[in-house]
Amino acid sequence: MFHWLEKRPFFFAVGVFLVIAFAGLIEILPNFAEAARPVEGLRPYTVLELAGKEIYKKDNCIACHSQLIRPFKAETDRYGQYSLSGEYAYDRPFLWGSKRTGPDLHRVGNYRTTEWHENHMLNPPAVVPGSIMPAYKHMFTNKADIETAYAEAVTVKNVFNTPYGDDIQPGKEAFEKHFKSVVLPEAQKIAADMKNQDVKDAVAKGEIPEIVAMIAYLNSLGDSRYAAKK
Amino acid sequence: MNALIGKALAFAAVLIVATIVVVKQMNIDLSDPINLLTMIGAIAIAVLSAGVSAKYISQMKTDTASGELAEENWDGIGEYKNELPAGWAYSFLGTIIWALWYWQFGYPVNAYSQIGEWNQETKEYNQKFEAMHKNADKATLQQMGESIYLVQCAPCHGTTGDGNNGQAQDFTKRMAKDQVLAVINNGQNQLGYPMGAMPPGMASGKDAEDIAAYVAGGMKGEQPAAFAACASCHGADGKGNGGMAPNIAEYDATLMNHTLQNGKKGIIGRMPAFKTTITPIQEKALTEYIQSLSN
Repeated sequence: MFHWLEKRPFFFAVGVFLVIAFAGLIEILPNFAEAARPVEGLRPYTVLELAGKEIYKKDNCIACHSQLIRPFKAETDRYGQYSLSGEYAYDRPFLWGSKRTGPDLHRVGNYRTTEWHENHMLNPPAVVPGSIMPAYKHMFTNKADIETAYAEAVTVKNVFNTPYGDDIQPGKEAFEKHFKSVVLPEAQKIAADMKNQDVKDAVAKGEIPEIVAMIAYLNSLGDSRYAAKK
Repeated sequence: MNALIGKALAFAAVLIVATIVVVKQMNIDLSDPINLLTMIGAIAIAVLSAGVSAKYISQMKTDTASGELAEENWDGIGEYKNELPAGWAYSFLGTIIWALWYWQFGYPVNAYSQIGEWNQETKEYNQKFEAMHKNADKATLQQMGESIYLVQCAPCHGTTGDGNNGQAQDFTKRMAKDQVLAVINNGQNQLGYPMGAMPPGMASGKDAEDIAAYVAGGMKGEQPAAFAACASCHGADGKGNGGMAPNIAEYDATLMNHTLQNGKKGIIGRMPAFKTTITPIQEKALTEYIQSLSN
């Protein structure tokens, strides 16, 4: 019946490609588009949180910590509600990770606090006996790169239409205004809960140590990024 | 043909002898049925592979092609016209019928989903858990409380419950002196008790010191006169007037409930709320365990 087609291998190959490509498009694309949309009520990361996310990447937290809670009872008991793909809509890139030497962090903001992270980053085994996580003392002295984080926010706002407010605009002037009115107060709030005097002094001077940005990011993982749930 | 069968038998024999030699060499205990079965399996595989290869090798040597050739050929290589085997045809029809059912009724209601499996598993487990521990005795609750404590609470409060060098509330006693003073000076309104907010400055100076020392000392000895200011809400015994205000003498069930539901920020730091993570039975167990730490 199809000998006329089988005799023409090139057009046969083209036909096979078209059929499979069409099936793939109508099956995969709608689901993909639906799942990639942000979950209702999800807000994008603030600039300070973005700076923390950069430190998370830079210090390679992803090598030991995942950010994806699978729908298994054992996992939801320990880490909370399973993850949805729309929750990563503002993660560029997402930091799912594939190795759990330490626990999952996708909802760590729901059950850990600023004070805890401060103690833990200074000396993990003192907080969690037997922990093999190294100390991250340099975060208390290194300064966070807020400029790059701000540039990232401007970029994703312009390129991907991420819903940032009007105060995220290109230019040094807009950055300084945003830094003074939004980033610094957010950092001050976190520093107020911390004990380390050097960090408090730095924030009072208008500098932001990495640990502050890092804690802002870790606290944002969980319900605090949902306007509706709060 | 006969030579081939001879070779196949020889090959199988070599494999069988090799298997037996290995079993003897490694001193494998054949009275264990698993080991015995494994050895029989190895021998069966040896015999089968020898037999199957002999069959196909002989087929390649003797078989000739038959049937009607299709019209076209590719560089002299032709193709026979073969009917679709009946089994294939029926399974093909079967998949078409299944696809119709799946499109019309199967998807999404009867389709598999990971989330659906999670829902079902969690629901079944929770029902079983509720039924099993509805009337749990004290020992069971305490044991359950300890495991929950080690997972959810120990990261801050320490594995022994002593607050891990002042990083969190110390469960071996109810309150320390500086905690009582901080509450008196700053007030407190985070736990959602019916009595409402406690205003700052209910007592001051030496009165506050006396109250703090008395409460931190476990409410023993003579009650300072200034405690009257506290007693109006917290009760003369400090036990919170039957759940109207926080119990400042011991960890009771209402205090546990209000703290887990609301979380709290005190002078030590902030504790997040645990309202979605801990079920009522688990809360009861946790209360039982935390009470056992201060006794």
